[in-house]
Amino acid sequence: MTTRKRAMSNPARALLATLLDAGERWSHGYELASRTAIRSGTLYPLLIRLEAQGYLEAEWQQPLASGRPPRHAYRLTAAGRRLARAEAGKLGQAGPIADWRGREAAS
Amino acid sequence: MSRLVHRLASRMLAAASALLPSRLSPWARAMERELAEIPDDGAALMFAAGCLRAVLGLAIAARLRSIGAAARAMLLATASSTRRLPTMTRISARPRLLGLICGACAVAMGMAYMLAAGAPPRYLLVNLLALVLGATAWLALGRTASSRLAGAGFLVVALALALLLTSFFGLAADGASRWVSVGPVALQVSLIVLPVMLVLYARRPDAIGTAGMIVAALALAVQPDRAMAGVLAAGLLALLCAAPSRLALTAAVAALLAFGFTLVMPDALPATPYVDRVLFTAFDVHPLVGVAVLTGAALLAVPCLVAASKGAAERPALLAFGGCWLSVVVAAALGNYPTPLVGYGGSAVLGYLLSVALLPGGARQAGGSAATRARPGADRGSDPTAPELRVAQPA
Repeated sequence: MTTRKRAMSNPARALLATLLDAGERWSHGYELASRTAIRSGTLYPLLIRLEAQGYLEAEWQQPLASGRPPRHAYRLTAAGRRLARAEAGKLGQAGPIADWRGREAAS
Repeated sequence: MSRLVHRLASRMLAAASALLPSRLSPWARAMERELAEIPDDGAALMFAAGCLRAVLGLAIAARLRSIGAAARAMLLATASSTRRLPTMTRISARPRLLGLICGACAVAMGMAYMLAAGAPPRYLLVNLLALVLGATAWLALGRTASSRLAGAGFLVVALALALLLTSFFGLAADGASRWVSVGPVALQVSLIVLPVMLVLYARRPDAIGTAGMIVAALALAVQPDRAMAGVLAAGLLALLCAAPSRLALTAAVAALLAFGFTLVMPDALPATPYVDRVLFTAFDVHPLVGVAVLTGAALLAVPCLVAASKGAAERPALLAFGGCWLSVVVAAALGNYPTPLVGYGGSAVLGYLLSVALLPGGARQAGGSAATRARPGADRGSDPTAPELRVAQPA
């Protein structure tokens, strides 16, 4: 059985780059959306796909301040870091980051 | 204000997340919790709107995937039922029997529609009578073990000539000459003979049969009958896909030319109640009646679905049959052409059951008694004198 491999989109590459920058530190959804300028409607399907493919770890974390609900946090797995490094070189190929960020923010 | 906006956005997300499959519900919860961390109302609303879009997209994708998986499972179950489900095995492995059941169900659904729509009782009687006649023919053909497939080509030519004669001497209406009068009933000859010709030709596409197909194409161009010319072309193209040959290609080209000719000829017959546009008007009676009519029309192609599990010898006839009846239904959906079996008209009922009766018998052939057993592939053998049309005994 052959597996269809899709080319990665620029928002996906930017998300990987941001998560790679974070290293071992856990990131949250709103923080990722703010740092990458990817809208939540695009961000969460990307996170779900990366997690399903084994590139992303996700876990519920208890809040530091009391009275707050637990939050879902994310970081790359080892495979995710390898993928992010491989894709990092391609990010510029599709145009400057500012371009896609602008498009994404405007969409 | 801030609390109100957050609560509203959160409620929206919670409601939408109910649509998600359980494996994705933690993600909807994650979005909802994240919302609580956004201090700015505008940003929170934007974030919630994006999440809502994501949740709805994911829910739709999940539903489509589950529908696709269910459809695949159904098809696989039908195809592999030969080994797994004894009852389904016997039916799906025998296209003739399956066709008879599908035809009878479609007629029953059509009668229910006509009853609900207030059609004259005579219409119901005509369809019922055609069903009885067709079933009798089905039974008789099943028992005619001595019918010779070697003579199929001549039969195709004879039927094509009947079609041609109808073009010149048949009953005409609005410039189209397609019918013959049998007592109080007008029969559309092409709806009876064309499906039979296609199945016979698909089982034995010889030179004589090809000549018959060309005559049929000419007859449909002369009538003119756009729908049936399209049906002939569709049936022959399906045959060409299943068993490419120069003869089948010649017949298909002739049919396409005839179809092209009918496209430029005027074809302005008005819609007849209970005959044409039934696929749409049934919904005006009641949505359930509409669904019944659509289901009945879809059932007509079911015998063709078993083609996937059949050998190369049986597949051409099943695919030509499927191409033929599917295109009759499509024509009925696109224009003022008779809606087969679910609408008023005995011709389609007879044509369907006769063409079903001539389909390869299926399991019974392979595993039945010596008297009813036919050799696999015998009907498309290269030796023109050897094969016989040995149709399986009906149940």
